[in-house]
Amino acid sequence: MTRLGKVYGRTPAQFAAEAVALAAADAGIELAAVDGLLTSSGMTGGISIDLQRDLRLADLKLLSHVQAYGSTAGSMVAIAAMAVQSGMADVVACVFADSPLQPERRSSAVYGTRRAGAGWWGLLGASGIVGANPMYALAARRHMERFGTTSEQFGHIAVAQRAWAALNPAAQLREPITLADHQASRWIAEPFHLLDCCLVSNGGIAVLVTTAERARHMARPPVHVLGWAQSHPGRYLRSNPDFGLVSGAATAGPAALAMAGLRIADVDVAELYDCYTFTVLLTLEDYGFCAKGEGGPLAASGVLGPGGKLLVNTGGGQLSGYYMWGMTPLSEAVIQARGDGGARQAERHDVILVSGNGGVLDHHATLVLGSQQAAA
Amino acid sequence: MSVGPVERDAATAEFFDAAAAGVFLLRRCAGGHYSEPPAARCTTCGDADLHWAPAAGGASLVSWAVTWTAAEPGAEAGATVLVIAELDEGPWWWSRLAGSDTVALSTGALSVGARLVLSFARADGEHEAVPVFRLAGQPA
Repeated sequence: MTRLGKVYGRTPAQFAAEAVALAAADAGIELAAVDGLLTSSGMTGGISIDLQRDLRLADLKLLSHVQAYGSTAGSMVAIAAMAVQSGMADVVACVFADSPLQPERRSSAVYGTRRAGAGWWGLLGASGIVGANPMYALAARRHMERFGTTSEQFGHIAVAQRAWAALNPAAQLREPITLADHQASRWIAEPFHLLDCCLVSNGGIAVLVTTAERARHMARPPVHVLGWAQSHPGRYLRSNPDFGLVSGAATAGPAALAMAGLRIADVDVAELYDCYTFTVLLTLEDYGFCAKGEGGPLAASGVLGPGGKLLVNTGGGQLSGYYMWGMTPLSEAVIQARGDGGARQAERHDVILVSGNGGVLDHHATLVLGSQQAAA
Repeated sequence: MSVGPVERDAATAEFFDAAAAGVFLLRRCAGGHYSEPPAARCTTCGDADLHWAPAAGGASLVSWAVTWTAAEPGAEAGATVLVIAELDEGPWWWSRLAGSDTVALSTGALSVGARLVLSFARADGEHEAVPVFRLAGQPA
């Protein structure tokens, strides 16, 4: 990973190229050994299969731009795993980068203008529903009304993740917060306070996917991809009894664990996509860490955060660590699986569950990673 | 209350024509199932042969969220209540609440299943009519 956060003056493509080069160096291989490249871009775009040229990679056997919103990272790793399994490619680099932050420019200058949109999408915006904040707020409110989930319960997730971030040198927000700070933070889209929402970061992160045999001869201990699955319910803006109550994680999670031959009780660490605190709560339920509707009480029970029984988003996640879409949970999972977590390292880190979530809970990808090739 | 400007395109022309006359058009298949206006295939049976059919105008509240925006920089931020409504025909529609948002918030009128009525608003005369909802029993 590159330096992350308020790192200015560089394009997403530059971050992406640096991230791939850093991943190759970390693995102790020449960049030229990469024969597959999967790219993913964020808010500001700017990344395409042209990254091959920037990296001067010749004779690639796999090259594609992948887009599944917040579930892209998990999708990329699954595609790469299938490519190396089939022999199509040998070493596949998967990279995400973005640089939405600009110095001296408030986000309101970007988002505050009201121009006429067109068509159905323009109509949604004209109605006042602009961006992800109100859409996820509508999802969260439905969960609250159905199950009695509260803002304070969301707050426990924010507080726990900030405590993890305090132990992560790469995290952007490391100052501890309290439940009172969460409740006092301004409304973004009620029921979401500011501290329910992810931050924004510049930077890039890349992972290399190769065969277990090849990985054995690389510089760093390999992290094994034990299982993967996706779920795309396909009910965006449509009548949807599950909206805000059940996401694709409910099917993708068990499917990925089944591929790995594992159960939810075998999971040591969970790195969950956290565009909002609510997304973490919903994913915990959908993966089966608790019964449906009990995510709120679970979050409030004190099991989250350093020293808790349930190790979730151990680097601070996107709420407090860095916002690199699905690469945030994936990168922390790799760090934990390798035992590189320093002050925040999980004692047991054999099985790590990783989620990706995109759209308005419309796209989900699950990965099961392990420190051993066959799960212990 | 205000809505933003929106322009029609080829896919929305008939919808906005009807909206200008105060009619909200849904898509309806030969089997009588209603789908949301942008549907290309029936949400219930997958039928691709859909026709426009007017909604009666009644709906119930599925979920809501509140945002605060200032009309202009420096002005005091006002509440906007955003809603997902289930039309009585079945499809959902995401929009905002018309009428007094402050009243809706302070009276506890917002609850799942609360009755809503379709209405329309425009950014100004040059722009298309935008479907909005008001709480049943509240003035438009």
